[in-house]
Amino acid sequence: MEAAAHAEHHHGPPAANVSSRVEAQFLGMLLFIISEVMLFGAFFTAYFFIRVVADSGWFPIEGVDLPKAIAGVNTAILVSSSFTMHWALEGARNENRNALRVGLLTTALLGLTFLTIQVNEYVHIGFAPHDHAQGTIFYGLTGLHGAHVFVGLTLLTFATIRAFRGHYTAKEHRGVEVPGIYWHFVDVMWIVVYSSVYLL
Amino acid sequence: MLNPLRSEQEAFRFLLYVVVVVAVLLGIVFAVRAIT
Repeated sequence: MEAAAHAEHHHGPPAANVSSRVEAQFLGMLLFIISEVMLFGAFFTAYFFIRVVADSGWFPIEGVDLPKAIAGVNTAILVSSSFTMHWALEGARNENRNALRVGLLTTALLGLTFLTIQVNEYVHIGFAPHDHAQGTIFYGLTGLHGAHVFVGLTLLTFATIRAFRGHYTAKEHRGVEVPGIYWHFVDVMWIVVYSSVYLL
Repeated sequence: MLNPLRSEQEAFRFLLYVVVVVAVLLGIVFAVRAIT
């Protein structure tokens, strides 16, 4: 009887079934990042395959080496951006709006610096993706990561604009939290990329 | 148990663990390379 009355007054599509204890937004991010790990895994498989089978080995190739020091500085920049991201989130949790705004803005600027240095590295590195298989996978892995930094920067830009417009509170700051999780994931992937491609 | 996808705080802590673990692994690899 009650159901029939409810159906009579209900308009629009039925409410989505919620069968998980995980919130839909976080479940979406979880599935997304798992798919990302598989995507990077495919590229890393190609990288390790080339390292094992290529006769010319890994860099330096034909006198050209990877700029380890510059990439190391870039790594420090990206890792420090995770600290500012965390600071921004702590600001949101504690209703410290200045910390939230400055933290997000600094994170975005550090990410932009990272991308600029990476593009500059591509310009001056001395080989192209089509020169050899090692070059292909170098550009493939670092470019894939760079694309993720770009996506993260886009998310951060939206979050920063919203923070300056007065959005987010101590209770409701998912718009910063989810990009924050993504940003830390991008950082973790870079640490793996840098240590395997540049250092090992 | 640490779940880096549950909250930003846990993701940040996971990042710090990864930094430490990768630094230790690199140290071991470079040490072995120097010895052999």
